[in-house]
Amino acid sequence: MLGKLDWSAIPFDQPIPLVAGAVVLVAILAVLIWVVVRGHLPYLWHEWITSVDHKRIGVMYILLASVMLLRGGSDAIMMRIQQAVAYQSQGYLPPEHYNQIFSAHGTIMIFFVAMPFVIGLMNLVVPLQLGVRDVAFPTLNSVGFWLTATGALLVNISLVVGEFARTGWLAFPPLSGLSYSPGVGVDYYAWSLQISGVGTLVAGINLVTTVLKLRTRGMNYLRMPMFCWTTLASNLLIVSAFPILTATLAMLLLDRYLGFHFFTNEAGGNVMMFMNLIWAWGHPEVYILVLPAFGIFSEVVSTFSGKALFGYRSMVLATMAICVVSFMVWLHHFFTMGAGPDVNAIFGIASMIIAIPTGVKIYNWLFTMYGGRIRFATPMLWSVGFMVTFIIGGLTGVLVAVPPADFMLHNSMFLVAHFHNVIIGGVLFGAFAGFEYWFPKAFGFRLDERWGKAAFWFTFTGFWITFMPLYIAGMLGMTRRLQHYDVAAWRPWMIVAAFGMAVLSIGVICQIMQLVVSIRNREALRDRTGDPWDGRSLEWATSSPPPVFNFAFHPDVRGEDAYWDMKARAQQQSFEHDVPEYQDIEMPRNSPTGFVCAFFASIMGFALIWHIWWMVILGGIGAFATFVVFAWRDHDEYVIPAEEVARIDRVNLEERRSLVSMAGAV
Amino acid sequence: MSDQTHIPAGHDLAPGEEEQHSVGERILGYVVGLVLALLLTATSFFIAGTDLVWQPSIPVALIVLAIAQMGVHLVFFLHITTGPDNTNNVLALAFGLLVVFLVVGGTVWIMSHLNANMPPMDQIMMRQ
Ligand code: HEM
Ligand SMILES: [Cu+2]
Repeated sequence: MLGKLDWSAIPFDQPIPLVAGAVVLVAILAVLIWVVVRGHLPYLWHEWITSVDHKRIGVMYILLASVMLLRGGSDAIMMRIQQAVAYQSQGYLPPEHYNQIFSAHGTIMIFFVAMPFVIGLMNLVVPLQLGVRDVAFPTLNSVGFWLTATGALLVNISLVVGEFARTGWLAFPPLSGLSYSPGVGVDYYAWSLQISGVGTLVAGINLVTTVLKLRTRGMNYLRMPMFCWTTLASNLLIVSAFPILTATLAMLLLDRYLGFHFFTNEAGGNVMMFMNLIWAWGHPEVYILVLPAFGIFSEVVSTFSGKALFGYRSMVLATMAICVVSFMVWLHHFFTMGAGPDVNAIFGIASMIIAIPTGVKIYNWLFTMYGGRIRFATPMLWSVGFMVTFIIGGLTGVLVAVPPADFMLHNSMFLVAHFHNVIIGGVLFGAFAGFEYWFPKAFGFRLDERWGKAAFWFTFTGFWITFMPLYIAGMLGMTRRLQHYDVAAWRPWMIVAAFGMAVLSIGVICQIMQLVVSIRNREALRDRTGDPWDGRSLEWATSSPPPVFNFAFHPDVRGEDAYWDMKARAQQQSFEHDVPEYQDIEMPRNSPTGFVCAFFASIMGFALIWHIWWMVILGGIGAFATFVVFAWRDHDEYVIPAEEVARIDRVNLEERRSLVSMAGAV
Repeated sequence: MSDQTHIPAGHDLAPGEEEQHSVGERILGYVVGLVLALLLTATSFFIAGTDLVWQPSIPVALIVLAIAQMGVHLVFFLHITTGPDNTNNVLALAFGLLVVFLVVGGTVWIMSHLNANMPPMDQIMMRQ
C-alpha cells in the first residue's frame, strides 16, 4: 500500500535532523495558523500564489532562494564545525550523516539557492528593462516557479522522512547505483532535480522568448541593457544544457528502477559516460549562474559610477563568446580520469581561453568606474567586493585548468576553495547586489544602508577567512569531503575556517536585520520617485512598486541607457508636451495552474521515491488534468480600463515631474 | 499578450507559423514534403538491404539520406526559409546544431580516448 514507506523511515535515533525538522515544522505551522487566523489566506492566494505577474513570481523565487540559503547555510556551519573538531576523532557527525549533509548542501546551494535567486532577479527585472508588460508566457512562468518549489520541498522532506543521497551533489555512479546506494537518498536527489529541472527549463524558454520577441519600441538588440544580454545568454544555456541533465538523471533512474545498465559496472554499462554527460551540463551550469551576476554588476557599476558602461559592445561579445565556449570545456572536471594527453591538452587550453572574455569584462567594469563619480552604496560595495574576490577565484580556476597541476589539486580542498571563490564571490555577491539594487523597485522602499554595509563587510571578510585556509589545506594535501582526519598540519586551517564561518554568519544575521529594520522604517525609506539610485535603464522609468501593467505607455527608446536619455531630454523640454491619451490595457488573468500542477507533481515525486505506484498514477493524472483544464479555458485576459490606468499613472508622473524640476533647479 | 509585441520592422515568424498563403498552396506544400519524406525513407530502407551498390558506401549513403530527410522536414514542415522574417529561427537552429555538434562530437572523442586508456582489467592483462 505504501511501497517502501514505513516507520523506519523516520530517523528516531538521530536527534539533529529530527529536532531541526520539528523546529521547521512548528515554524511552518505557526506561520500557516497566523495566516489563516489573520485572514491573509485569500490575499496570499489571489495576489501571490496564483499570480502570473512576473514581478510577483520573481519575488517568490527570491524568497524561496533566501529560505533555502538558510537551510544550505546550516549544513555549511555543521560541516565546518565537524572538520574543526574531527581531528583524530569522529567529531559529532557520524559518517553517513556527514555524507548526507555535504550532498544536500551542494544540491541545495546550486539548484535551490543560486538558480532561483538569479532566475527570480531576471524575472523581476528583465521585462521592466525591456519596457514591456509581462514575460512571453505568464502562466508557464508560474508553473516553472512552483515546480522549482516542489523540488525544494522534496529535498527538505528527505530530512525527516527517509534520507538524502550520500553521493555528493552530482551522484556519480557506481556509488549512486542500486548496489551501493540501495536507500531512497539518491531517489530523493534525482526526482527533486527532475521536477525542478522541468521548472528551470520552462523558465529558460520563457525568458529567451521574452528577450527575443518582446521589446518595446526602438529597443533593438544593441540598445538592451547588459543584464538583458546576460539573461539571454544564460537562458540559451539553460535551454541547451538542462535537457542533458534531465536525460542523464533519467538514465540513472532507469538503472535504479528498471534494472537498466547505462551506468553500471556490469552488462556493458559505462560509468564514465555519466561523468561525461553530467559535466557536459555541469560546466555550462556554472555560467548559467554567473552570467546573470555579470549582468547585475554591469548595471550596478554603471549606475553608481554615473557613467555609461565602458565597452558595451565588447561586453556583449564577451557574453556571447562565453555562452558558446562554455560548451567546449567540460572535460576539465575529469582530467585525471584517463582521457590522455591529447584530449586533456585541448580541453585545458579551451578552459584557459574562457578566462579571456571574463577578463575583458573585469577591465570594462574597471574602466566604467575610472573617472566616474562613484557612490559607494551597498550594491556598489558588493560589486567592488566581487571584483576583488572573483579575480582570485578565476585565477585559481585557470590554475586547475592546467592538467598537470590539476593532477595534484583535483578533489582537494584547493578545488573546494576555487569553486566557492567563484560561486560565492561571483554568483552570491551578484545576487546580493541585485537584491539591494532592485529591492526598492520591487517594494517601494529602500533598504537600510547601515545594516546593508555591515552585512557586506562581515560577509566579505568572513568569506576570506573561511576560504583562504582551504586553499592552503588543499596544497597541504587535504582532500575534499573528509568526515575526519589525522594530519596535524591541517587542523589549524580548519579552525580558522570555522572561525571565518562564524564571521560570515554575522553577515547573514545583518542581512536579516537589514530587512527587519527597513520594513519597520519603510515610511522613512519610501521611494516616491521610482528612481532611487538615479538609474539609467527603463525599470526606473515606472513607479516603485510598478503597477501590474508596468508601463502605461510603451516607452520609446532612442539609444542605450534609455531612461537616462529620457531624463536628459525631459530636463530640457519638461514632460509637458506628452500629455498622453490613455488606453485600456489587457493583462493575463491569475491562474492556479502552476500551484495545482506542482501540488500533484509533489505527490507524484514523493510516491515515485517510495515506490507507491497507485499514488504515482494519481499524481500524474492530476498534473495532466490541470494542464488540460488550463488549455481549455475561455477567458485568459482581463481589461484595465483607461481611466484606471490614467489614475495610477498620473500619480507617478506627478512625483517624477517634481523630481526633474528639483534636479533642474540645482 | 496581444498588445505588447512591439517589434517594429522586419516582423518575424515563430517556428511553424506561415506567411499568408492560400489553403491550396499550403496543402500542396505539405503534400510535396510528405512525398519527398516518404521517398527518402523508402530509399533508405532499399539501400540498407540491397547489394546493387558498393557495400562500404551504404553507411555514407544512409547518412546523406538522413541529412536530406532533416532538410525536407525543416523546409516543408517547419517552414525554415532564408528570408529576413526567419532570422530568429535560423539562428536558433544554428545554435542548436552547434551545441549538438560540440556535445556529441566531444563525447565520442572523449569516450574513445577513455576506452582506449582505461580498458577493463582483463584487457590490460591481455595487452601485456
Ligand atoms: C576563469 C574561468 C574558470 C576556470 C578556468 C575554471 C576551471 C575549473 C576546473 C579546471 C575545475 C575542475 C578542477 C578539478 O575538479 O580538479 C573547476 C571546478 C569547478 N568550478 Fe571552475 N573554473 C572557472 C570559473 C568558474 C566559475 C565562474 C564557476 C561558478 C560560478 C565555477 C564553478 C566550479 C565548480 C562548482 C567546480 C567544482 C565542481 C565539483 O567538482 O564539485 N568555476 N573549475
Ligand atoms: Cu568547469
